[in-house]
Amino acid sequence: MTGNRWRRTACRIFPLLISFPLLGGCWDRLELEERAVILGVAVDDAESGPAEEGDVTHMPDFEPAPEQPMYRLTVQIALPGRIPLGPGGGGGGGGGTSKPSETVWIVGVTGHTIDDAMMNLQQKLSAPLFLGHLRVIVVSEKIARRGFSNLNDYLRRNPEVRRMAWMMISAGKAEEVIRTHPPLERVPTMYVISTLDNAARTGKFPQTFAGMFWSNSSKKGQEGVLPYVRLKEEQTLEIAGLAMFRSDRMVASSSPLQIAAYMGIKHINPGGYRGIVQIGGDSLTIYSTHRSSKIRVRIRDGQPAFTVDIGIEANVEEKSNESVSLSNETILRELEKIGGQSTQELYQGLVEKTQQYGSDIFGFGEYVRAKKPGFWNAQVKTKEKWQRMYKEASIDVNLKIHIRRIGMKAE
Amino acid sequence: MRSDREITMIQLGSVVSSSIIGVGILPLPLFAVRAGGAGAPLVAMLGSMIGFAGIWLLVALGKRFPRETFVQYSQSIVGKWPAAVGSLLIIVYFTVLTAFGAREFGEVVITSVLKNTPVEVTVIVMLLLTAVSCRQDLTAFAYIQYFYLPVILVPAWLIVILSLKNADFINLLPLWGNEPQGIWRGGLSIANLFQTSFVISCIIPAMKHPNKALIPCVWGTVLAGAMYVAIVAAAVGVFGAEEIRLLLWPTLELAKTTSLPANVLERMDAAFLSIWVTAVFTTLHCSYTLTVVSMADLFKLKDYRALPIFLLPLVFMLAMQPQSIVQMYTTIHFIGQLGLLLTIGYPAVLLLIALARGKRSDGVDRKSLEKNGLPDLPASD
Repeated sequence: MTGNRWRRTACRIFPLLISFPLLGGCWDRLELEERAVILGVAVDDAESGPAEEGDVTHMPDFEPAPEQPMYRLTVQIALPGRIPLGPGGGGGGGGGTSKPSETVWIVGVTGHTIDDAMMNLQQKLSAPLFLGHLRVIVVSEKIARRGFSNLNDYLRRNPEVRRMAWMMISAGKAEEVIRTHPPLERVPTMYVISTLDNAARTGKFPQTFAGMFWSNSSKKGQEGVLPYVRLKEEQTLEIAGLAMFRSDRMVASSSPLQIAAYMGIKHINPGGYRGIVQIGGDSLTIYSTHRSSKIRVRIRDGQPAFTVDIGIEANVEEKSNESVSLSNETILRELEKIGGQSTQELYQGLVEKTQQYGSDIFGFGEYVRAKKPGFWNAQVKTKEKWQRMYKEASIDVNLKIHIRRIGMKAE
Repeated sequence: MRSDREITMIQLGSVVSSSIIGVGILPLPLFAVRAGGAGAPLVAMLGSMIGFAGIWLLVALGKRFPRETFVQYSQSIVGKWPAAVGSLLIIVYFTVLTAFGAREFGEVVITSVLKNTPVEVTVIVMLLLTAVSCRQDLTAFAYIQYFYLPVILVPAWLIVILSLKNADFINLLPLWGNEPQGIWRGGLSIANLFQTSFVISCIIPAMKHPNKALIPCVWGTVLAGAMYVAIVAAAVGVFGAEEIRLLLWPTLELAKTTSLPANVLERMDAAFLSIWVTAVFTTLHCSYTLTVVSMADLFKLKDYRALPIFLLPLVFMLAMQPQSIVQMYTTIHFIGQLGLLLTIGYPAVLLLIALARGKRSDGVDRKSLEKNGLPDLPASD
């Protein structure tokens, strides 16, 4: 009997004993303050060349480094315990501070590929790099125009990276965007994020997270767009337009007002842009509150033809002088007509620009693929072919503005 | 050891659902998109129908032989030795399926979450859990499956519904995809994921009313099939077919991009993975139970409680065979396609022969019932 009891006790204790090492997850135990949490990355091309690099991922004699221009990465690493938690609670947990330079640490590194640069960085840092909180990826225009599938591949493959990170193209050096320290936010990347988040909320810019950019670039009948930003005086970050892509290369950028045209055609709300309308010696500013759009596709003479019907709801915001009175309805109709014409030109201008570069950022090709699969299968089928065909496609934009309100002033 | 024949219809339905929804739900949109492009939801639906064909065959057989398991009635249909070969193949097949299911689970976990943990550890933890649970009788088995079903279904639907916010309907057009010729092949590869529902061949004889098995099986398949179609549609709607071709586990990416409203959770992948572990467990529980119960039947063992642990080293070694994740997926796909012959083709042949020879043991034909006797009654152990 005692043997039996021993066996039973052993049977009970054994699972308990092995469950601790197996289920504890101790292999991957890594305390928060032991990792280097990367908040933002800037990708530039390296000017200095290979001199300042040790051979971390390759042996120069056996396996030479990849034959491509080198990258320069600038990363923003959160200092553990220094990131203030909650609004205003500066003094709390671990002596939170309000100076941006003291919440993050900015380190630069070069490498032949993105991973090579990351590993060069790791070689210099004590804590393991952690990309789970990467929120901002800034790529310089030079790299974007060269094509950055290497970066996209690295980020897609890495399981820590989230697809909701903001990716943007900077007009100048990307490093400078990462190095800004505006006084509005205590963590510099948070400022960049809030710039774009607020722009999306107020209808100034569409939500173009990295994941959406990847999805749109992958589609056969669509190209990706990213925010095109420029660092201005006093550490402000201007949203300077849309960076337009063709496959994985940036081909052009738009003006800030053309963002409105993009959002109008893509039916993205709320409206947020203002337009100035000249009428009877006065110039009035009207602003859009709501955009609607309907895209129809037909096949005409073996070519796809698109009709885009756009309706914009708008209000009057200011008048430059008192030569026109808004008290009667005809003047509003007149305003709608003149404003509609100039806005239509704006829209058409953007469409023509994308056609000129063969960069279908609106996804007209997706409409062909979805609605006219017979034509698509017979004539298009590949992304390259659509890029060529898009240049020749006929796209008509019909635009109508409806002015609804004039503010608090009676005339 | 068996059970007291008290499995209810709802429990049978849950067994069907939770046996189908398993480790395969992560790469599911990828498989469907590879076959059908934008028509991926149609591929998933077709796969569900093929999968249901297999389930229907087992229900029809179960109705003819209400108190016998697959191994037992196949003997009375085609004779002792041919049936033994068939049963042995089934046993081997589901052993392999259990092993590869655990391996696939391990690969996902070490790629996405526990990067430093050896894959052996994640696999063996899952297998141990499964083996220990398989020591229970079939009533407990059905109850476990029934208990966990809502845990799997509710959050998965939540992700689907929340992700609709980011979806673009145009990605799902045309409904039949741009290259419809791949749809049939794709349907077959989706049907692979339905094979674990073969476990109902052991559950039906342990039911209170085996002749009422069809309705819960239909519901179970519809529940799981709708889940599959919804997940594929959500993934294609959010990412577009071409992007999914680049993602190894699109469902996981979907959970990553989906956030709970009002900033409660910014990304749902951690929550989703923990639910998915449950789904993997219920599926492995089904396939391993099927293995051990069929083995006990084949070798006429009264008590199969020792079998799960006894087989464990073998299953573990099988699980460790694939050398890379790419090899693992090609092997799983290849074996799964062959397995369709076993899990749909073989029962179809059995049913045809049973029809032709007029074999049954549901009391309609007294003679064959007397000859074979009732299957082993619950033995008191």
